[in-house]
Amino acid sequence: MNSKTVSILEGNTFVVSDLQGDIDASPSEPTGLFAWDTRMLSRWILTLNGVRPDLLSTDDLSYYAIQFFLVPGTGTIYINPDLSIFRKRMVGRGFHEELLILNHRSEAVDLTVRMEAGSDFADLFEVKDALAKKGELYQRIEGGRLVLGYRREQFVRETWVTSSAPAEIDGHGLTFDVHLEPQGSWSTDLDVIAATAVSGMQTTRVKYLREHISAKPEMQLNLEQWIENAPSLNCDWNWFERIYQRSLVDLAALRYYPRLLSDKSLPAAGLPWFMTIFGRDSVITSLQSLPFTPELAGTTLVALAAQQGTIIDDFRDEEPGKILHEVRFGEMTAFEERPQSPYYGSADSTPLFLILLDEYERWTGDAHLVKRLELEARAALHWIDAYGDRNGDGYVEYESRNKETGLENQCWKDSWNSILFADGSPSRLPRATCEIQGYVYDAKMRCARLARHFWNDPKLAERLEREAAELKRRFNQDFWLPEREFFALALDGDGKKVDSLTSNIGHLLWSGIVDKEKAEACVRHLMGEQLFSGWGVRTMAMSEGGYNPVGYHLGTVWPHDNSLIAWGLRRYGYRAEAAKIAAGMLAAAIYFKGRLPEAFAGYPRALTRFPVEYPTACSPQAWSTGTPLLLLRTLLGLEPDGEHLLADPAVPRMFKRLDLLSIPGRWGHIDVCSRGTLDLVGMDSSLPFTF
Amino acid sequence: MDDPITTFFERLATRGYEPLLHTVSGTYRFEIADAGNWGVMVTQGTLSVTRELPQASCVIICTRDLFCAIVQGEQNPTTAFMQGRVQVKGSLSLAQVFQRIFRVRPETRLAWEVTGE
Repeated sequence: MNSKTVSILEGNTFVVSDLQGDIDASPSEPTGLFAWDTRMLSRWILTLNGVRPDLLSTDDLSYYAIQFFLVPGTGTIYINPDLSIFRKRMVGRGFHEELLILNHRSEAVDLTVRMEAGSDFADLFEVKDALAKKGELYQRIEGGRLVLGYRREQFVRETWVTSSAPAEIDGHGLTFDVHLEPQGSWSTDLDVIAATAVSGMQTTRVKYLREHISAKPEMQLNLEQWIENAPSLNCDWNWFERIYQRSLVDLAALRYYPRLLSDKSLPAAGLPWFMTIFGRDSVITSLQSLPFTPELAGTTLVALAAQQGTIIDDFRDEEPGKILHEVRFGEMTAFEERPQSPYYGSADSTPLFLILLDEYERWTGDAHLVKRLELEARAALHWIDAYGDRNGDGYVEYESRNKETGLENQCWKDSWNSILFADGSPSRLPRATCEIQGYVYDAKMRCARLARHFWNDPKLAERLEREAAELKRRFNQDFWLPEREFFALALDGDGKKVDSLTSNIGHLLWSGIVDKEKAEACVRHLMGEQLFSGWGVRTMAMSEGGYNPVGYHLGTVWPHDNSLIAWGLRRYGYRAEAAKIAAGMLAAAIYFKGRLPEAFAGYPRALTRFPVEYPTACSPQAWSTGTPLLLLRTLLGLEPDGEHLLADPAVPRMFKRLDLLSIPGRWGHIDVCSRGTLDLVGMDSSLPFTF
Repeated sequence: MDDPITTFFERLATRGYEPLLHTVSGTYRFEIADAGNWGVMVTQGTLSVTRELPQASCVIICTRDLFCAIVQGEQNPTTAFMQGRVQVKGSLSLAQVFQRIFRVRPETRLAWEVTGE
């Protein structure tokens, strides 16, 4: 998110405004009030006597409420302002805004206060791609409210604007004639109601009104409970505690309540573009947060299972048993101009779903859910073999069935040009990227455990173990580049090894598909200067033809990627290397006030001394928010073992003490305390580790 | 000529157990303009169909033409709902999961009736 905007959100309703509280959206700017992937308000501008006030300060202490402190625009700093303007805003089914004006003069003042209101009802996709509308916009004034509307056939979206103080309402806003006594004040409550949203049913009021702002509303109580239920972290390096708190609060903010389970939440992918369910992002964030907030994983599994693919549908890239990629509710999705209803274009979400199912049971002991989702898990396994492996070569590969609006790349590096040869040339479809094979291996091994212990099907368990072993054997031959000693990024449509050195090899360590004797070479590459920037592992090594330090998946550093790599390093026993990645990531987080962005530039740390944010990165982004959590698990070496939680801390010396208290799980709650003993070789720990 | 709506509900009545709905329990009423009301009860995937159902936790309302298009696979039920052409009263979650009934083809059965080796 741009630092010149501020946002508040609840579920998939959010408000993005400038620092004064105004919304003045251009067609391609993601500012406004958004609900269900539609911009419900694109213009919301406050003026006093025709002039926009100046900003004193913005207070965005919570994720759902914000205050703006303003003074009249005087055009010069040499005149003391004699009025104060406070705007207090709270989101929920639209937003509630309290406008308060104070007169500091000893004489009365008459003012014309105007709030301009308008909406373009843009679909989020239209905002992203700057597209034009096909239906008709309208305004009307009825029952003391301004109705802003949009109609295309039976698709109707309306926003209602009301005021508690008397106003002159026209089609473009509300005007107030305000008389202020000496030292007097004036106020009004403005409600902007997302009146018709996805269900076509009418909402007649916003969720939170004036009395809720001082009384703690549900969201605040919910947040306090959320933080209280999570383990508490004590670290002598205080930044870690702050980063951890930031992660918990952001994770709370990114909770998304799917319609099928209205009282339970799962992680949406990120603000502003991705306040929706993404299969991959929701699963990875749930994996990262399992030791901290295990309920997210349970909801994610149930919600994804409920929308698992049932038929072959080319437009949606849907296949029986496949786990969805993305769900949207905007106009373009409704009219099938985009396929997200839901869209199934990811080849990794299905094995990742199975991995989460097993990992969830290992932490929580919730055998009931594993049994309940047996059919869905079997359908997912069926998808891997029957559809994921498109050409019968034993590997899962992807190529969209939808040539117009489907995704070119259906792995996590989903930009169109992410899968390149070492000389920078493009690869051909269909592509079998390496990490997906790792996920499939892991999914089959884990489902073998589930089949044996919960599904009463030892034959299935044996078959899955046999298939996984065969996959591992073949993969270590077919993807290995003996002359460069790492695994190819992919096998492409011509059967060629896509030979770029990328971060994907770290995911292979996480999955366990790497032969022991090949692991050391992979680690050497991951920690070498071509891949490791000093902050973290780049998506692509500097040595490669496609490398670009600000290319989305071609050289930037992605926090979630690094958290999985660190987990993989621990799996293969590389404790110091995992700790080094954790230390680099946490140091970077300081520069983002404790909130790791989606990605940052791949410049060497020694060159910039500062992690340069990637221009259009989403923030907060769920799997970046989950990154410090998984790094914490990795540093402490937390691993469930039957009814017990094992800990094997490998903590850098600069953290001194690192204690995680009251870790929830099938064991009840457990404290893990550790001391930093590791010295990190080749890591500059001077600057960010002191205050 | 067979009425596709009557045929759809009659087939549903004979289906008995539907594995795609094995996690679902709830009552539905379909109010189809010019085709009347139909009730469907689901108990962990076991279906029964009636013409009378006063109470339902999920009411689905649409026109005859639209319902025909949905049962014949010509219209996606989710996007019809998103467009405002299907109204849902009561539980949206029940409505969402029921739409799977309209999206069952031979390939679906292969994926959902696998029982090990």
